[in-house]
Amino acid sequence: MLIKIAWRNIWRSKGRSMVVMGSIIVGIWALISAVGFMNGFMVGYMADIINHDISNIQIHNPEFKSDQEVKYVIPDGKKKVNEIRKWTEVEGATSRIIVSGMIASARKGSAVQIRGVDKSNEAKVTELDSLVNEGTYFDGIKRNPILLGKKLAEELKVKVKSKVILTFMDESGTPISARFRVAGIINTSSVNLNEMTAFVLNEDIGRLLGSYEIHEIAILTMPRIEEEVVLNKYNDLFKGDLVETWTQVAPELELLNEMYGSMMYVLVFIVMMALVFGIVNTMLMAVLERIRELGMLMAVGMTRIKVFLMVLLETIFLGILGSPIGLFFGWLMMYYYTTNGIDLSAYSEGLESFGYSSILYPYVDSSTYLIVTVSVIITAFIGAVYPAWKAIKLKPVEALHAI
Amino acid sequence: MSIIKAENINKTYNENTIPVHALNHVNLEIDRGEFTAIVGPSGCGKTTLLNILGGLDQPTTGKVTISDTEITSMKDSELIDFRLKNIGFVFQAYNLIPVLTTAENVEFIMLLQKRPKEERDQRGMELLREMGIEEKARQRPSQLSGGQQQRVAVARALASKPQFVLADEPTANLDSTSTTQLLDIMAKMNEEEGATFVFSTHDQRVIDKARRVVTLEDGKIVSDEKR
Repeated sequence: MLIKIAWRNIWRSKGRSMVVMGSIIVGIWALISAVGFMNGFMVGYMADIINHDISNIQIHNPEFKSDQEVKYVIPDGKKKVNEIRKWTEVEGATSRIIVSGMIASARKGSAVQIRGVDKSNEAKVTELDSLVNEGTYFDGIKRNPILLGKKLAEELKVKVKSKVILTFMDESGTPISARFRVAGIINTSSVNLNEMTAFVLNEDIGRLLGSYEIHEIAILTMPRIEEEVVLNKYNDLFKGDLVETWTQVAPELELLNEMYGSMMYVLVFIVMMALVFGIVNTMLMAVLERIRELGMLMAVGMTRIKVFLMVLLETIFLGILGSPIGLFFGWLMMYYYTTNGIDLSAYSEGLESFGYSSILYPYVDSSTYLIVTVSVIITAFIGAVYPAWKAIKLKPVEALHAI
Repeated sequence: MSIIKAENINKTYNENTIPVHALNHVNLEIDRGEFTAIVGPSGCGKTTLLNILGGLDQPTTGKVTISDTEITSMKDSELIDFRLKNIGFVFQAYNLIPVLTTAENVEFIMLLQKRPKEERDQRGMELLREMGIEEKARQRPSQLSGGQQQRVAVARALASKPQFVLADEPTANLDSTSTTQLLDIMAKMNEEEGATFVFSTHDQRVIDKARRVVTLEDGKIVSDEKR
């Protein structure tokens, strides 16, 4: 009977119930959308950097980290990378020769990190080929092809097939200059790749340096394989190298990840607070409107706990009704935008300078829907506690004579 | 044998500011099967006395005993349970639950008493039949006239088989025909089922039907007439 009364009570004032349900619907929809957009911004940004730049694990000579000199190579690096590629936990591994130097065009010069890459394996690990926006992935140029970031190319005022000069020092400190020709221009949201990196082939930079020893191994682990597994395996097999996961290579990303988590909590808290006050206000009205009836219920023998439960049940019913609708709208919006993306190209200049993509692909994982729904229902429950408490604080004799 | 015994009841409102003495040394005993009207002008303390007899309000001093159980010393939760098991209430404004049907309103009290469904259905329909509104069983209170609603309220009060029914100005909102019908039903229930009724009123038609008339003035009993 309690359930029956509570259920029918919510239809007594349809407008008011719609307001509570509307708050719940908008609350769920807003949270799902907010999580989706934040994921699109932050996780997309992080995934971009991890997938196209850092990869899951990097290996260096321990000295290389503090002083990026040519001499700090990984001993037997090529053998090690060949071995790693055989591991079942690893999807791909690539070797890099890294030198700091200068790049100069006919117009301008700039400091860059010259990154020698293994053409096919780099494509497997970082999908560098997919970032090529103009020109080709090292193809079509017979001697010394080079890939530049879009921003760097713009700064140097070079195009595909333009000539650039790379200047760097070999292990003995002898300056080396060589002419390269732009094979392709890459476009990525990573500021590092876009503005400060020049990609060349390992064989070209190795030939110029007089050594094909490598400075960096980048590893892409298999999906759902913890980086620690590969890291431990490497350390067991090979001693003396510095093996780091992406969180160690780029601690700022880890920090960003934590900050993003905190921002989510703040956002959820703000939405929930708005919802709580909306529900408290509306349910309080529902209680105050029925003072005489509640007084009668307690006068004839309905216990205070049952009156309390009745008011709570009314809100919970509204939550149960509103949640699927809010979920549906949230899911619908995410479904559309996850597929089509949101074109933010009007703001792309500003966004890209911060490392964000101009097309935003929001997404939420399935657990988010559950968490948001449960959170909103709990919030609705909390919002109903005060009106329910007000109801049981009524004195029957006073409530019965309330106007 | 008295089922209600009020001894030296005093009720003072606003004790700390401007005291208003609603009841002044009231002593009253009501026997099983009585049909009693508490009468008097507005503000004489009728409703206050009824509220105290029904355990809805506490006297400032004095005690109320219902069938050898003193209710004035009971805790709030004990009083709720006591009222459920022993007292039926009829209110001036009917106070039916608007979202329940007539039959559900009558069964509601029995449900709180955890009576089995069969008994609830049977007793509910029996009472509605007695009240002459059996055909309204599936209708909601808003679809009934004032007189019909008050008959549902009487049926609800009697559904729990209480020791007595307290009715506060039960006919105040009713027209003459409805008042007569309601009084006839209450008198019939009193005679046939032995239900004890205590009602406050200043309606002469109700006073004429009563078999005992207790008159209050300024919070004091000034006459107690048995007919």
